[in-house]
Amino acid sequence: MSRLLPGPRTEPLAAVDGAAMVFGDDVNTDLLHPSYFFSLDADTVRQGFLGQVAGKATDGTRSRVLLAGDNFGCGSSRETTMQSLRLAGVQALVATSFGRIFFRNALCLGLPAFSCPDAATLAEEGQPVRVDPLAGTATNLATGRTVALTPLDPFWRQVLEAGGMMPWLEQRGSLT
Amino acid sequence: MTLSRTLTHKLLDAAATGETVAGSAWREIHPDLVLGHDATIALIVDRIARAGGRIAEPERLFLVADHFAPPSTVDRANILRRFLDFVEQSGIVEAGGRLEMMQGICHQVLVESPRCRPGSVIVGADSHTTMAGAVGAFATGMGSTDILAVLRTGRTWLSVPDSIRVDIAGDMPAWLRGKDVALHLLGRMGEAGARGAALELSGAGVPMDGRLTLCNMAVELGAKNGVWVSDAVTRDWCRARGEGGWPDDVALEDLQPDAGAAYVATERVDLSTLAPQVAAPWSPANVHDITAVAGERVHQVFIGSCAGGRLEELGDAAGLLRGRRIPPLMKLVVTPSSTAVYKEALRRGWIEDLIDAGAVVTNASCGACGGIDKGLVAAGEVCLSTSNRNFRGRMGDPDARVFLGSGLVAAATALTGRLTDPREVL
Repeated sequence: MSRLLPGPRTEPLAAVDGAAMVFGDDVNTDLLHPSYFFSLDADTVRQGFLGQVAGKATDGTRSRVLLAGDNFGCGSSRETTMQSLRLAGVQALVATSFGRIFFRNALCLGLPAFSCPDAATLAEEGQPVRVDPLAGTATNLATGRTVALTPLDPFWRQVLEAGGMMPWLEQRGSLT
Repeated sequence: MTLSRTLTHKLLDAAATGETVAGSAWREIHPDLVLGHDATIALIVDRIARAGGRIAEPERLFLVADHFAPPSTVDRANILRRFLDFVEQSGIVEAGGRLEMMQGICHQVLVESPRCRPGSVIVGADSHTTMAGAVGAFATGMGSTDILAVLRTGRTWLSVPDSIRVDIAGDMPAWLRGKDVALHLLGRMGEAGARGAALELSGAGVPMDGRLTLCNMAVELGAKNGVWVSDAVTRDWCRARGEGGWPDDVALEDLQPDAGAAYVATERVDLSTLAPQVAAPWSPANVHDITAVAGERVHQVFIGSCAGGRLEELGDAAGLLRGRRIPPLMKLVVTPSSTAVYKEALRRGWIEDLIDAGAVVTNASCGACGGIDKGLVAAGEVCLSTSNRNFRGRMGDPDARVFLGSGLVAAATALTGRLTDPREVL
């Protein structure tokens, strides 16, 4: 049988480092992960990441931080898009703003996603970036520039800290 | 002082359990109905089992096999099987939930059912769940983990969004449709124009099929939900769905925003001033009057999807193509939104009209829209589609170009083989 898609984040919430992948405005889920790669098999899903964005292919062996402009991840609700990001080594998402379903999908799986007015200009492609969800900052480790992340609503903060929606419900005793 | 509430605020209040998180705008909500389909439910079947397996309220589930319906690859056959095994083993149908087996696209099959109740709160594992807002419901799309939480607990967490009013004035001209209004709003507001907000739409001049298209494409504006402010058109259409189609305990007055409710913006559209609209590649917000792009060679026309395969589009196409033939090199692919639509179009003779004109008619399903099934486009091809998204690569090869338009624009374009203003051929 094929390799299962990953569940929610299991490590404690902490600062993460990764090479920047930089995107513009209105980057939709069909660009991030074409529906052709919709599958229950983790290898197929991983191969679809950025299937049509030239020059951004990744083999998943290197840690990444995605930086994007407005309305990042608009379009489809397919969670395979978010799974493909995780399988490709993406540790955190910082965007000027997110498509709302995509934003929920990230936090529901425990992947840090923050809006930030400076997201699109923080780093050049490939520069090392640290995202610290506890301190609420993102830092370009090449230039030393640090910017503030917009704080999450307290509900989403709890979900992220718990490792995702299902761990949060488990903690609350809602999964009887 | 009583708070004046938007319609969306009222609908969410009615489903709120009272559970909150300190300092948060998010509240626990008890949805009346949960929509799911083969693709996005199959994704969480393993995790349902790992999370204890129990489905909280199976009677509230409305599940539809529509994406891989029927499946065209082995991988998709296995995905569909995973979904169907889950439905069977969890006893959802026996417990009063619904399974619709390949009877059309989940959003269309849902609104055709009295279970899609005016005044209710509906969450679905698909972004176009917003379409159910056309019956006066709050309806929003979510990802699979969010839906997993609903399946296990019967609850979800939502905030009350800002609302944007959309007032549509006038009568619908013969060449215009709800799709043109949706595209016009996208051109005006952009793909993030209603990001995270509610659209509350009204306008007696828009027939029900067009309202469904507008609420469907609310998500293309980034909206959380699109709700039509119910009127006699809504009520009559819902009643025609049969027993319980418009519930006895729901009054039209209950489905209105309060007088003085606060809106963050108001968009006004005058139907008498609009030309047929087309979205050019590769964004549904890259919108032009048809006159600006008319004449471009088109290789395929697709009439289908939850946004554009209803009786309105099939009737418009049949009316325009009846007794005519499309050019020999034109591919005209017609995929009705549901089997009910398909059967009614058959009864009215429209399917025969379309076939005689040169169309191929497929079974009701998502079809080519999401790049899933019959009707994908090749590199270098140009397609005019009545669907909701023309993102690059969505419908096939990334080097195909897809334009979006109404059923009338689709039929006029199929007839000439070029992007065509329907006013020239009507």
